[in-house]
Amino acid sequence: MGCPHCGRVHEAPGPDMCVRCGWRLAANVPDTSLQWVWAWFFAGLIAYIPANIYPMLRTQSLGRTSESTILEGVVELLHYGSYSVAIIVFVASIAIPIGKFFAIAYLALSIQRKVRQGVHGRYRLYEVVEFIGRWSMIDVFVVAILAALVQLDFAATINPGIAAISFALSVAFTMLSAQSFNPKTIWAYGDHSKT
Amino acid sequence: MSEHSSSLPDIEGPGQSIWRNLSLVWLVPVFALVVALGIAWQAYSDRGTLIEILFENGAGVTAGETTVRYRDVVIGEVEGVHFSDDLRSVVVSARVENAILPFLDEDARFWVVRPEISAQGVSGLSTVVSGVYIEGAWDSVPGEATNSFEGLENPLFVRPGEEGRRITLNVAPDMQLQGGTPLIFRGIEVGRLEEPRLVGDNMTIQVDAFIEAPHDARISSATRFWDSSGFSIDFGADGLSLDVESLASLVSGGIEFDEVYTNGAEVPDGFRFDIYSSEALARASAFVTDVAGEVPVSVQFDTFTRGLRAGLTVEMDGERVGEVASVTVHSFETDTGTERRHVASLLLDPAAFDALPEGAGPEELYEYLADAVENGLRARLSAEGLITSEFRIELAEVPRADPAAFERDAVPFPRIPAVATERPTMNTTAEGVLERVAALPFERLLTQAIDTMASIEDLAADEELRQVPAEAASLLADARDLIGGEDTQAIPGAAFAAVTDLRDILAELRESGSIEALTSVLAQADTAMGPVSEASERLPDLMANLSALSETAAALEIEALVTSASTVLATADTFLSSEELAAVPPALSTALVELETLLTALSEADVVGSLNSTLASTEAAADELPALVEQTELVLAQIGTLSSAYGTRSVFLTEAMDVLREISTAARSIAQLARTIERNPNALLTGR
Repeated sequence: MGCPHCGRVHEAPGPDMCVRCGWRLAANVPDTSLQWVWAWFFAGLIAYIPANIYPMLRTQSLGRTSESTILEGVVELLHYGSYSVAIIVFVASIAIPIGKFFAIAYLALSIQRKVRQGVHGRYRLYEVVEFIGRWSMIDVFVVAILAALVQLDFAATINPGIAAISFALSVAFTMLSAQSFNPKTIWAYGDHSKT
Repeated sequence: MSEHSSSLPDIEGPGQSIWRNLSLVWLVPVFALVVALGIAWQAYSDRGTLIEILFENGAGVTAGETTVRYRDVVIGEVEGVHFSDDLRSVVVSARVENAILPFLDEDARFWVVRPEISAQGVSGLSTVVSGVYIEGAWDSVPGEATNSFEGLENPLFVRPGEEGRRITLNVAPDMQLQGGTPLIFRGIEVGRLEEPRLVGDNMTIQVDAFIEAPHDARISSATRFWDSSGFSIDFGADGLSLDVESLASLVSGGIEFDEVYTNGAEVPDGFRFDIYSSEALARASAFVTDVAGEVPVSVQFDTFTRGLRAGLTVEMDGERVGEVASVTVHSFETDTGTERRHVASLLLDPAAFDALPEGAGPEELYEYLADAVENGLRARLSAEGLITSEFRIELAEVPRADPAAFERDAVPFPRIPAVATERPTMNTTAEGVLERVAALPFERLLTQAIDTMASIEDLAADEELRQVPAEAASLLADARDLIGGEDTQAIPGAAFAAVTDLRDILAELRESGSIEALTSVLAQADTAMGPVSEASERLPDLMANLSALSETAAALEIEALVTSASTVLATADTFLSSEELAAVPPALSTALVELETLLTALSEADVVGSLNSTLASTEAAADELPALVEQTELVLAQIGTLSSAYGTRSVFLTEAMDVLREISTAARSIAQLARTIERNPNALLTGR
């Protein structure tokens, strides 16, 4: 039985705490782990809805106020011919979060339903989700930077909209969701045949 | 595997275990859900209410961009622009804040604010960059909310709910007022006019004006409005003064008002004020009775309508009772076809009719007019002066007028019958003459006259030019020939010679003392007197010639006459001042004295007979002399007339007069002498 924090190996019916670092040791997978995943998952999903409905950016330029949601921003960028930026924004703000939702949902469901599947494939998926999660914040960063930089009063002003906060929350929630995921469960319910 | 199997039933177990194992982390999604729903609900409730505004056109109004503002604060946004079902108007649907919805009752007005440059200034400049917006205005009293409005084409000058007073002004037709024209009270803008409008069969123009509080307290029956055209020029003893009001009122005019007397009474709502054309008129109207309600009547003129125009005074018994509001042409069908007639619409003031009681209204006036028309009251167009073309309409009782009735049902207003205009031709003639006089090129004429005068002066001053007129010159030559003729010149010479002879004879006689000699002397004297008599006979001819000369001269052009007469007189002067002529009277006198002494000595002698014959011839000569005097006087008179006709300032004419007066005096003394001799022949001998 390994300490989840420092990796110290203990005997199977061992102490409750790691002898080296004092981390709580548990032999079996805590039942609450999946609940955490689902809870954060749904919080992220709920936050993701206003993130897409409400405007991300509120741009005031020469007295005109224009608000654009994420998808509108992408369409606008495409319209202006900035395909690469459009693709980046699309991938970071739409494709990745949605993919993450699917991935987490799949992982959680597959574990819950004890679907027998290749353990390595699932673990790799888990790692990808966890790694890529933070990159979804790229849109929030762009908004934050723009809002900080473009405060030229009448000429042009950019303010973050409700969606920016929602989106940031959504990303944070999904990241927490992914982190709540105990990789042990993958192994616990996994199909070890390929190992 | 055992721990797996032990955990699984917990997860998949019945609800009880799920609730028991439920982690607190589920509060997070619940909280997120609550927040999201809260945001959603707030957004939904903040969305506002959709209203529709109908506009004639939707220039610049864009869905999603154009805002709706109230007092320049955004209260909503246009969500859609589309056409009405019949494509007659543009329907702008806008979402406005719910908070202001209760105020959007029937009073609410919307208009599109666009950049506008007018005499009052530049407005809506911010819309150049930000695009147009829809401005709304309404009062501060919540009412029954509606959500469909008619948009205005022009900005509202006076917002609903502003403190102040709305009044109505009558506008004269020639005042070109615009909406937004400022109302000025002692140089301060205190209100604005709205758009003028035509009322009542397009007869009058009215304009609503709004005076902001607290200046609306100035409105009373003593308040007068006048058109301050922006500047006034006053030319008087103080010199030229130019008054310029504000630049805006210079361009678009302004309406000024003031109380022209104190203690004006409160005016009722709906009272219509007149706008006077000048401040002086407005102030003068303080002494005119207030016009409460003017009553319209019409007059149809069948014949002469020259000079008929709006604004003419309507008079009755020499008093003003109203004015012509408009003149229109009405066409109607008759047996002979379509006919057109001038119809003047008059506005009569019932208060101006002496026969009507105080506070009489239209009905009383109409009844009075109906009675008066029965008694011969007619309207007629007459001229206010003989020469001026100021016309007026008179309501007067016309004797022997064709029977006519006051038509109560006439269109457009009850009609007073008209009679033919008085003396139209006279006026037209006078007017025509005046027009022709006015059309004369006075300037050119004056210049020409001045030029002519100058050239005449040059001509008169030029010595050479004086000789120019050939006729005058020849005439002059004739006269000179006549005067300088040998016969004429010979008169003094002959007389002188005769006297000399006489003296010689007398000297001889004194020596000889012979009566025979005396007789012969007397005979010689007789013969000597002959030429004198002859000369005297010729004098009338001379005078006749001179007279003819004068007549010709009178007929001549002035410069020719002046020249010739000048020369003639010069010659005459020379003639008269010639020594020979001057020598005549003294010589004659001496001769006579000598003769007298001689005759005294020889009084006894028998010489009376021959003396008598001599005297007879002298008498004959004297007889001619009065005629000569008359002729001379005639000439004098003629020249005098001439000179008075052509002015007395000429030095030449004065000289001419003097010369002629001398001739006259000379002639008169000759005549006197002759008459004395005639009356008392002894005087020849006695010297008295």
